[in-house]
Amino acid sequence: MYAVEIKNLKKSYGDFQALKGIDLEVEEGEIFGLLGPNGAGKTTLMRILAEGLKYDEGEIRIFGESISKRTRRLIGYVSQESIAYNLLTVEENLNFYADLYDAPKKKVSELIKRFNLPPKKKAKELSGGFKRRLNLAISLLYDPKILILDEPSTGLDVPSRRKLWEEIKQFKEEGKTILLATHYMEEAEILADRIAIINEGKIIAVGTPKELKEMLGEESIVQVEGLLKGAEKLKNNFPRVLEKENSIRIHVKEPRQALPKIIEILIKEGSQIKAVKVEEPTLEDVFLELTGRGLE
Amino acid sequence: MKLRVIKGIILKDLREIRREKMALFWIFIFPIMWITLFGSIWGGESPPITLKVGVVYYNESSPFTAYDVVGIMKNVTLEGVPLFKVSEFKNESGAIESLKSGRVDAVVVFSKGFGANVSGGRQAKIYMYFDKTDPQDYQITSGIVKGFFSEFEKEMKKRSLEMQFKYMEAYIPKEIIERHNLTVEQIREYMLASAEPLVIEEKTVEGETATPIQFYVTSFIGIQFLFATMLTIGNGTLEEIEKGTLRRIAASPATAWDFLLGKMLSTFFIIMISIVIGIFYSRLVFGETIYPSFLGWSLIFIASLFSMSLGLSIAMLTRSIKSTTAIVNFISMPLLFLAGIVLPESVLPSWAKPIVNYFPLGRALKDLRLLELYNRPASEIIPDLIWLSLITLGALTIAVLLYNWVVKRLE
Ligand SMILES: Nc1ncnc2c1ncn2[C@@H]1O[C@H](COP(=O)(O)OP(=O)(O)O)[C@@H](O)[C@H]1O
Ligand SMILES: [Mg+2]
Repeated sequence: MYAVEIKNLKKSYGDFQALKGIDLEVEEGEIFGLLGPNGAGKTTLMRILAEGLKYDEGEIRIFGESISKRTRRLIGYVSQESIAYNLLTVEENLNFYADLYDAPKKKVSELIKRFNLPPKKKAKELSGGFKRRLNLAISLLYDPKILILDEPSTGLDVPSRRKLWEEIKQFKEEGKTILLATHYMEEAEILADRIAIINEGKIIAVGTPKELKEMLGEESIVQVEGLLKGAEKLKNNFPRVLEKENSIRIHVKEPRQALPKIIEILIKEGSQIKAVKVEEPTLEDVFLELTGRGLE
Repeated sequence: MKLRVIKGIILKDLREIRREKMALFWIFIFPIMWITLFGSIWGGESPPITLKVGVVYYNESSPFTAYDVVGIMKNVTLEGVPLFKVSEFKNESGAIESLKSGRVDAVVVFSKGFGANVSGGRQAKIYMYFDKTDPQDYQITSGIVKGFFSEFEKEMKKRSLEMQFKYMEAYIPKEIIERHNLTVEQIREYMLASAEPLVIEEKTVEGETATPIQFYVTSFIGIQFLFATMLTIGNGTLEEIEKGTLRRIAASPATAWDFLLGKMLSTFFIIMISIVIGIFYSRLVFGETIYPSFLGWSLIFIASLFSMSLGLSIAMLTRSIKSTTAIVNFISMPLLFLAGIVLPESVLPSWAKPIVNYFPLGRALKDLRLLELYNRPASEIIPDLIWLSLITLGALTIAVLLYNWVVKRLE
């Protein structure tokens, strides 16, 4: 039995089809990453699972049971936007949601302690990291078996992000199933046991990070760093080119033959090259291979 | 219905409101401002006024002359305050100049031969001049001056009758009177009545008239319904939609009724606090107020429920805080006057009267006034209360349906 099982899920906003037939299985106890660029349909999928957003077609089962108001209690959801009331304190916010879900009162103090939250501080005075943790605490009030996290580390500074990742790993230790949406390949790579790559409302690949990278096969990745010009020219010769700030990644079959050509084109266009490396593939390279574009 | 959810929503709303500066203004400062403003304009007893009157008269040697009338004018007082401050002018044109420049409020001219005419039992003429620039001032001034002279005239009539009667008693033979089956007393009464056919006595009845302060306390309650109540529930709900919290509440085990009941009760509680502040502030500062009876509070409750239904419906139809605020203001501004909220129904144009009677908030306020200001019996109000309850139930149903419709379509 899967924790979450989705078959042929379709959802439109007006004329626009945001989910074009999603099939997905999340195993109990794993961290499942949903990796895709903005607009891919991640939030839509999560809201269907957690908030009861209407969908057009498809079948969804939570621990084998068809999705309903009842199964929603098995799911805790941390959305991209905070649902804490800004004028209420941390404790008041938790008390309100505890009333809403009829959660035991002692949970409130427990969660305040667990996440090191300042109980008397108003939500609007919290830093991004604390606000996210308050939302996490809210979603845990009724002890859900599945935790759905929508871009949990977006907008957080590096230390807060690290801390959050530790906490997410902790949830897994406690036996929770975690479905995590992100457009940071790093986040997916570090946390997820399995990853589904989603693009334009479709899942285009599923597997462990290792399995996904193996999809690149024999290809190598050449990364050039510096003040670079001529990416467009490169694309004429190599089909998979990813431009980033101060670097370009090029997928090549034979690095030894490709390297002189790459350097020649870049220099001809007036680039200042600082370094050239042959790199291990990342999940973003997988995404590039599958869609022809980057994640961000 | 989940009591814990409803309690949670009420507590959450009240805590939010407590920390919201604008809301605090409407709840605490507005009632105090409103009552202070209208209380100090129309409240309390107005002190008796003294009118400056210019007089013009001619010296005469008759037994009773204009000089004697002016003497009386100088000595009349009302509640210990002189009614007139008299200045004498040599001629009419000088007096009129003074009136035009505002140095006197009225001019009284006793015609030439005034004294001789009065003493000789003939008609005597008095001319009066008033400044009509300010109609309200004119009404007050002319009322007082004319009132004085009409009282004076009555007194003169009585005296001249008494005089005539003395002559009659002395000269008409008793046999003639008896032959016509009359008594002296009857003739006397008959003569008095022909001089003054109507005797008007002014009597005031305590408790039947409301003071302006009491009227404005009820106005203030109406204003809270027209603005604060509608906006609190309407925009409060829209804010929850915008923040995404309503989606979460809708996804929780709480039902629509739990949410709405919680929101309505918290709104009602807030408005009650504001009304109670207005009531006690008025009592404290102006010594007058109203203390609504149970029936009065029922009217207030139903009116607030109607107002909430209206506010919620507007919010659900517009789905925008800005538009809701604009529409509520757009409807409420004219209703402030046309539904008899701040103006008494008696001064409204006739086409506005149906609004007072059939717009539920106008009607509820009118009933509240009948009940609390004019001491009408409950039996007169109860049919209205039933009518208002039914209308409110209808409005509430529409609001809840609209709310459900919106929540189902949240994307
Ligand atoms: N409420 C909505 N109304 C209309 N279109 C929407 C709405 N929410 C999302 N979309 C569209 O659906 C697509 C998927 O959005 P979303 O699920 O938020 O993607 P992601 O979370 O992966 O960034 C986007 O193109 C977005 O513009
Ligand atoms: Mg998203």
